[in-house]
Amino acid sequence: MDFALTDEQQLLLESLDELLERECQESYIAQLDLAHKPPTSFRQAMHEAGFNSLGFPEEYGGTPCDALTLMMLAERVARQGLNNGFGLELLQAMDILEFGSPEQKQQILGLLAAGEVPFALGFTEPGAGSDNSAMATSAVHHDGTVTFNGTKTLITNALQSTYLLLMAKDPGVEDPRKAISMYLVPMDAPGITTNQLDKIVWQISDSCEIFLDDVTLPESCLVGVKGQGFKQLMRNFEVERLMIAATCLGLAQCAFDDAASYAAQRVQFGRPIGTFQLIQLKLTDMAIKLENMRNFVYKTAWMVDQGLPLKSQGALCKRYCAMAGFEVADEAMQIFGGIGVTVGARVSRLWRDLRGHRFGGGTDEIMVHIAGRQIVKDHS
Amino acid sequence: MKIVVAYKWARNPQDAEVREDGTVDFGRSRAAVSEYDPVAFEVARRLADATGGEVIGLSVGDTSIGTSLARKAALSRGLDRLVLVADDALADADSTRLAAVLAAAVRTIEDVDLVIAGESSTDLAEGQVPLTLAAGLGWTGLAGICDVGVADEVVTVRRDLPDRRQTLLLDGPAVLSVTADAVVPRIPGMKEILAAAKKPVQVLDHASLDVTPVGAAGEASFEVLSTSRPADGTRRRVLIDGADPDTAAAGLVAALRTIGAM
Repeated sequence: MDFALTDEQQLLLESLDELLERECQESYIAQLDLAHKPPTSFRQAMHEAGFNSLGFPEEYGGTPCDALTLMMLAERVARQGLNNGFGLELLQAMDILEFGSPEQKQQILGLLAAGEVPFALGFTEPGAGSDNSAMATSAVHHDGTVTFNGTKTLITNALQSTYLLLMAKDPGVEDPRKAISMYLVPMDAPGITTNQLDKIVWQISDSCEIFLDDVTLPESCLVGVKGQGFKQLMRNFEVERLMIAATCLGLAQCAFDDAASYAAQRVQFGRPIGTFQLIQLKLTDMAIKLENMRNFVYKTAWMVDQGLPLKSQGALCKRYCAMAGFEVADEAMQIFGGIGVTVGARVSRLWRDLRGHRFGGGTDEIMVHIAGRQIVKDHS
Repeated sequence: MKIVVAYKWARNPQDAEVREDGTVDFGRSRAAVSEYDPVAFEVARRLADATGGEVIGLSVGDTSIGTSLARKAALSRGLDRLVLVADDALADADSTRLAAVLAAAVRTIEDVDLVIAGESSTDLAEGQVPLTLAAGLGWTGLAGICDVGVADEVVTVRRDLPDRRQTLLLDGPAVLSVTADAVVPRIPGMKEILAAAKKPVQVLDHASLDVTPVGAAGEASFEVLSTSRPADGTRRRVLIDGADPDTAAAGLVAALRTIGAM
């Protein structure tokens, strides 16, 4: 088993370090967090340097890249303290590149090139989240058009996005798995209104309720095959879970590094608090969790690269990293003491952002639901 | 136009430790393209693109400069090809010796119009190689260059001196040492890194090179008598109350005047 980086991975990470140093310093991230603004200039810089088209097919101007390298990059960006700073573009584009029409591909790739967020995923509803069978937003096809009605909630990046990748159900089809289709809906389409939700996590990404009242569009807004929307969406969910796990790893590593440095400098009772065994115990357990997270993420990415079926692996990895990452940040905050909860202390932002990953992309509990039934099935 | 970029594969000082006796321990430092050199790569690339020319990377040093990683690290930064003199006999070579070997390599490449280098290196930081190399080649050597342009095959360079800004027209081959802020170098992406593995690399045999000594003795005509840690700056520990911006600004100006900075 070889844990060494390849030349390409090492050089790519060094390039990313250069770019982060130039375009994504802590003051920039802190300001975005305070102002609740997205990292647009950083995204543009990432695109110009070719990072945001890594993993895209070459025919769309991308550069093929293995999952392990992509996860290392996601980890590194998060280690800078930036939440959800890498990978979003890849995941979003993959949905469209795989299933979209030529026009939809062109629109989305153009927005990505400008550093914009092309679309928000319109999946969760007040009465439906992980339980997609309860989805109520309807899509009625008639005379070459389709009319949408319903409410979506907790939609990340809705205000930043040009489009909504809307999941909606044909009320005439009983089987929920065959009733859901995927649509690319302009956010400025008549009949769409939004309501921004105030929240305490992920401040650089807005979260909204979206109301669709008789939104009528040409049927060409359908993405992929009618009735296959859920299947299409699930196709990239495994990679999304892995990307979240890598992000948790990076954010937690950032919190750990800050806490360890603080422990080495903060003097109480005449000596650095890092010399006290209670603090050392915390740091040691945090380091163990980080090592486990890293191994979990890298191995899962390796499985993706080998084409191995992930089965429960993605859910296990996401659950572990979201929970362990938050535990690391929580202990980091404890080491900082009171200063850790002040606005401006990076650890407070990391703590908030890591907390969000315990439900974003699927709750800790739904990961048990996914992994648990697979484990039982494998042993039946 | 054939442009050579003389660069160094050097230990990164960020991970280095200064011992009590002032010597620097690079033992835990990873090697990389010296941080001053990407600017030289970028200036050369832009110049070559403007003239339809070629950019050749050139480095001399111990055998670590010829590793796959070291080659790709340089080649991913806009070079067309690479020429190396990799010999462990050069591991502790001083800047005079390195410049002499670089000069021999430049002569071997032939028909070089311009050599561009970063203004210093991250390990030794003597900033001496470019002009010593110019002496070894018998070419014009110019330091502190912050801009290089070309029009009608005529190269002009600019340097900002403390009391004036000069624009110079080059007549003949030259060695230019470019400042760290001359341009913002591009950041290599995956495409450039993957392409680097396919670019040609020529390794010159050190022993076969016609290395002409620079200077009378062929080696540095000096001896290092001592090395010590630089004295720490005296901290004045001046605290300025920032409650009132006007008072704070006045306090800052007064403090700066007191130490002669204004």
